[in-house]
Amino acid sequence: MSTALTLTTSGDPDGSRVLTVVGEIDMSNAATFGAALDEAVRPDGEPLVVDLTKVEYLDSAGLAVLFPHAERIALVASPLLEPLLTISGLAELTTVRSG
Amino acid sequence: MTGAGTDPWTRADVFAVDGEIGPDLARIDWSAHPLGPPDGWPQSLRTAVRILLSSRFPMWLAWGPELTFFCNAAYRRDTLGRKYPWALGRPAHEVWTEIWDDIGPRIGTVLRTGEATWDEGLLLFLERSDYREETYHTFSYSPLRDDDGALVGMLCVVSEETDRVIGERRMATLRDLGSDPSVIRTEQETLAFAGRQLGRNPWDLPFTLTYLFGDDGVARLAEATGVAAGHPAAPATLSPDDAGARWPVRALAEGESLLVPLDGDDVAGLPAGGWPDPPTQALVVPLRQQGGVPYGFLVAGLNRYREFDDGYRGFVELTAGHVATGIASARSYQAQQRRAEELAELDRAKTAFFSNISHEFRTPLTLIVGPVDELRGRLRDADEQIREELEVIRRNGLRLGKLVNSLLDFSRIEAGRMQARYQPVDLAAVTADLASVFRSAIERAGLAFEVDCRPLPRPVHVDPAMWEKVVLNLLSNALKFTFDGTVSVTLRAEGGQAVLRVVDTGIGVTEDEMPRLFERFHRIENARARSDEGSGIGLALVKELVGLHGGTIGAASTPGRGTEFTVRLPFGAAHLPADALAPAGSDRAPVSAEPFVQEALRWLPTDPDAEPVPDDPAPVDVPAPTRPGQVAARVLVADDNADMREYLARLLRSAGHRVQTVADGQAALEAARALPPDLVVSDVMMPRLDGLQLVAALRADPRTAGTPVLLLSARAGQDASIEGLEAGADDYLVKPFPAAELLARVRANVELARLRNHHARWRTALIDSLQEAFFVCDSDGAVVEINAAFTDILGYGPEGLPYRSTQQPWWPDPEAEPDARRQVSAAFSVLLGQARGAFTVPVTHRNGHRLWIAAAFNQVDDPDTGRRMLVGTFRDVTAEHYAVQRESALAGLSVRLSRADDLTDALHGVLDEMRRLWRATGVLTAVFGDSPTPDVTGTDPLLRWDSLPDERRQALVALRDTPPLTPVATRSHGAGITVEHPHGTMALWIDLGEKRPFTEQDQTLLALLAGHVGQGLHRVHQIDQQRETALALQRAILGPARLPAGFAVRYAPATLPLKVGGDWYDTVGLPDGRIGIVVGDCVGHGLRAATVMGQLRSACRALLLQDASPAQTLMALDRFAALLPGAPCATVFCGVLDPATGRLRYASAGHPPAIVVHPDGTPTLLDQGRSRPLAVHAGRPRPEAEATVPARATLMLYTDGLVERRRQPLTAGIGRATATLQEGRSVPVDALASDVMDRLTPDGGYDDDVALLLYRHPGPLELDFPAESSRLAEVRTALRGWLDRCGLAPAYSYNVLVAAGEACANAIEHGHRDTPGGRIRLRAAATADALRVSVTDSGRWRDQNRPADPSRGRGLALMRALMDSITVTPGATGTTVDMQARIIR
Repeated sequence: MSTALTLTTSGDPDGSRVLTVVGEIDMSNAATFGAALDEAVRPDGEPLVVDLTKVEYLDSAGLAVLFPHAERIALVASPLLEPLLTISGLAELTTVRSG
Repeated sequence: MTGAGTDPWTRADVFAVDGEIGPDLARIDWSAHPLGPPDGWPQSLRTAVRILLSSRFPMWLAWGPELTFFCNAAYRRDTLGRKYPWALGRPAHEVWTEIWDDIGPRIGTVLRTGEATWDEGLLLFLERSDYREETYHTFSYSPLRDDDGALVGMLCVVSEETDRVIGERRMATLRDLGSDPSVIRTEQETLAFAGRQLGRNPWDLPFTLTYLFGDDGVARLAEATGVAAGHPAAPATLSPDDAGARWPVRALAEGESLLVPLDGDDVAGLPAGGWPDPPTQALVVPLRQQGGVPYGFLVAGLNRYREFDDGYRGFVELTAGHVATGIASARSYQAQQRRAEELAELDRAKTAFFSNISHEFRTPLTLIVGPVDELRGRLRDADEQIREELEVIRRNGLRLGKLVNSLLDFSRIEAGRMQARYQPVDLAAVTADLASVFRSAIERAGLAFEVDCRPLPRPVHVDPAMWEKVVLNLLSNALKFTFDGTVSVTLRAEGGQAVLRVVDTGIGVTEDEMPRLFERFHRIENARARSDEGSGIGLALVKELVGLHGGTIGAASTPGRGTEFTVRLPFGAAHLPADALAPAGSDRAPVSAEPFVQEALRWLPTDPDAEPVPDDPAPVDVPAPTRPGQVAARVLVADDNADMREYLARLLRSAGHRVQTVADGQAALEAARALPPDLVVSDVMMPRLDGLQLVAALRADPRTAGTPVLLLSARAGQDASIEGLEAGADDYLVKPFPAAELLARVRANVELARLRNHHARWRTALIDSLQEAFFVCDSDGAVVEINAAFTDILGYGPEGLPYRSTQQPWWPDPEAEPDARRQVSAAFSVLLGQARGAFTVPVTHRNGHRLWIAAAFNQVDDPDTGRRMLVGTFRDVTAEHYAVQRESALAGLSVRLSRADDLTDALHGVLDEMRRLWRATGVLTAVFGDSPTPDVTGTDPLLRWDSLPDERRQALVALRDTPPLTPVATRSHGAGITVEHPHGTMALWIDLGEKRPFTEQDQTLLALLAGHVGQGLHRVHQIDQQRETALALQRAILGPARLPAGFAVRYAPATLPLKVGGDWYDTVGLPDGRIGIVVGDCVGHGLRAATVMGQLRSACRALLLQDASPAQTLMALDRFAALLPGAPCATVFCGVLDPATGRLRYASAGHPPAIVVHPDGTPTLLDQGRSRPLAVHAGRPRPEAEATVPARATLMLYTDGLVERRRQPLTAGIGRATATLQEGRSVPVDALASDVMDRLTPDGGYDDDVALLLYRHPGPLELDFPAESSRLAEVRTALRGWLDRCGLAPAYSYNVLVAAGEACANAIEHGHRDTPGGRIRLRAAATADALRVSVTDSGRWRDQNRPADPSRGRGLALMRALMDSITVTPGATGTTVDMQARIIR
């Protein structure tokens, strides 16, 4: 059984696409998260907004999924996650907004 | 443990080990006895009884409150007497009521102190026979303990020494009686001396009376001991005619001993001697006289405390015999003196008579010899004996005639009345004829005889009869002193003279004897000759006769070479008186050569066909018939005259004596030394060794010193007889003597000697009757004399004497027993080096048994030889030696057993002790218990069953199947025994190494020790179990073995070795997840307080589970405590903690406040909710308070022992405790608990019980989960909750969460990728200012250098970034990642 994770892809009113992640991401479900990301990310156009505001846990397994898409995504994260994104260096590769 | 039901000694009948006492013991109705039936007896009693019954040493034991009596067969036999079997099972004080005053206190001491007693030769009056009996015992009382180690009885090992003590006492008296035999006393002195000695033994001779018979038959009191003169029992005179006399005089005069009861009025008030009560009977013994009526009699009052047995009778009779001997010696000395004077007078008369009338012999001699010659002719055909006896008569008649003639010749010569008729003769022919007469005698003597008589130019004038005497005397002389070689006779004409030379190659004559050679009656003393007969007148007569012929005689001699006599006669007649000249051939005197030849022939060895009567065989053969009333004796006859020998032999045999004959003194001495005869009859004059010398030699040799000698001699006269008696001869008889007188003298001397030699025989009998072994050593240490006890003890008899010092066969074998050998060698050098001393050494009996002897010795100078001798005695102390050894071994073993902490320790102690005792090379045991291989313990710690040699294992298995406590000694240099070990049968093996015998004594000791060991092991085992039980019980009442997370406790009891006291702590997991926490303190400490504590703790625990309100709990506990003695006034702090929140509800029953120290160090005392101690005003409500233990704060509950100090307020102690907590708030809680105990320990340690309980909130989180990624979420949830309880900021918590998550992911990835199914443990703990998380997997990480999943590498980096320190510790069973982070406020 994998850790509970809800992935919702939607269009933003301003036309950008948003992947909303709710729950925890760890090695048990990082692949699911990755697959959702792969599907939602478009090679061109606006970057995919990945909303991690409701993510209560994210570790290196989740980061490993995010890094390949760093240039195509924009992250929205809670203050809880921010130190992690900074420490991991991901914050330097992509935009991170506070959510 | 072996239960009572399976104990083999219960199943086996404890009495069955002995077939004699056992059945009688079994017959006792034990069910009605205080000890109860044997199958209910404690193991220790059964062991003791078993040892007792199987031992061959006399033993008894007393057991239990009544000191019930048991004994074994040896004790029954030696000591118990008719009290058997009545005594069995009775209280000891009933059995030995008569000696209870003596032994009761000793037994009491043993039972009170546990120390064994030892008494040697204690006098006890026993009533085991029909009388009160004087007895002596050497014994020890050893304590006996029951299975609990309590003193409940005693074992007595006894050796009865009555016989020894009494025997020594009697021997002392007999020894004293014979102590001064050299001084001859008068009768009065002798009796007074004996009286003093008898008076010194008032125990065996409470009183004595010595009566002597007078010539009138009236007995007169001569000596008395122990009773005053004038006592009615000691009348001064007793008449044989008085039928009512106190003592039976008439019967005694006839030589009977009588036992006389002492019951009349006249014996009332008799003295008691050395005893409380006077004798009840007396033995009256005649003082016997050899061959006559008794001298008198001895009355001996008898010790009423001894049975009058053969030994006692023998003692009294020996005593009387000695008194009689003393009297006999005194009287016979006087008689001998008288007789010596009479003999001297007789000799004087005989000498005078002989001197005066010797010429009167001629007529009777003629009338003897003549008719005898006629008879010889007439009885030529008579039987041989008659002819032989006629020959004897004739020969001796001739000899006597010759002697008388010679004497008369002298008197004639002296008187000038010799009537010679000188005739011219052809001297060569006459001389050759005379010489030829001797030829056969000389040649029979084995000598060459050369006669060379050449015709002379002129006749020589001689008296033929005189010349005949000259020649025959010279030849007779030559033959007598020549033993080999030649006798030659030559006649020559030299220088106008006729010269006769008689030359022999005999013994010669020494220079100093030469001048007296021709002296009348001079005899050369000590010259070796064919016969010592001779009057010393032969050569003197020759000289006189030659002188009458106007000639000369000379002699030349070289001792050892020979002698030459030269006779010179002038030719012609001018030198002779004219009236004495006669024409040639006018008066041919009858040749009288026969007496010379006959005499000479009797010196020579007898013809084979004329053998004399052979000597009697040795006395072992059939004794010669003895006429009634006669003394048959072995008589040795020494005489150089064969006729006399045979005559004496015939005479003595006819009187019933056994006779041995020898021809000279030397042969007599050798014969007497080989087998001392009863009497020696010896001629005085004999070759080689004469009679006087023989007497001196016999007296000098102790074996023959007492042999009487009767000297016979023809030499009459006072001087001769005195000389003989002075030389030590017992009697002196002058030849000729009547046959009847000789026989009477022989008989008298034999009897007298028997009497006189009584002392020598007495000494021998005395020494032989000593119960102690007696020996005499010469100065080199060779044993030269021993007594019967010596042989009894060592097995070596007098036939082996002397026992030379280096080869004495009883010395221990130096190979097999070097130690024992050394002891004996050392003692032996003491023996040779000191004037007196004593030692105890091991020796070996002839049959190989080991003995211990205690010897004492003295150096003395032999009064006869002046040589230094050693006289010693010894006794067999084997039993005592082993008793001491046994006592010390038992003591040593007991000490080792009592010191032992457990079975193993006890067994090692036993093995060491046994190895020491037997100086064994090793001792080992194998316990055959439940496990398949026996449990081996040895003095060699490396020994295992598997490492033992096969034969040893088989031997041990065989040993296991032998009956318990039965020693098994084998030839393989060791011994074994089985003992019941608590875990099963134990075979014990003692390895003695080489060739050491394991004696019967060793076996007895081993059995005794093994019994002790079995008992000791069971006791140790029980103590062991009790201790374990006590420890388990203490642990159970102390508190929970497992504590909830976050707690640490410490406990220090004030009373050691107890593990518990009156204080307690407790934690109780409540159903709602909360935790009850309790610390309490009962009044006092020690075991009593602990038992109260245990009940209060259990009650409190139960109450908390029922109602989780501290106040309600304490109120209920009030009621409980009110009913429990010792519980009131106990103080309790009782709280209920919510480990999730740190909320604590609490109430205190008079207990010191709990302390909370916040993470920042702020202290809080939980001093609310306080009320009175337990059970004080029970029933009243109690307050309850609430507090919160903040996150990472530390809570401490304690008892006052931790903080209370003398002369200091309690608050000071609480302050110190608080400070310690503050300083230790960063330390993990368990380490902090140790710190608190250490730092608050007062000088000299805690003097009160201390209970301490610490809690740090929250308690550590401990998770254990499968290494699967799907479990990570729930792990995070748990960790997140714990971090919340730690009161940490969310961001901080998140960092910790991610770091822990990464560590878990690593564990799954690296640790268990290849080995699924493993588990992961996570532990998180907090202190006031730090957090520590560790994750441990059970797998093996791959090579860390291998290019890993990049995301995992990122994980490690994350952990490092998020935490302050990371440590990865790989291990064989897993890898631990340890992470720490400081908490910043």
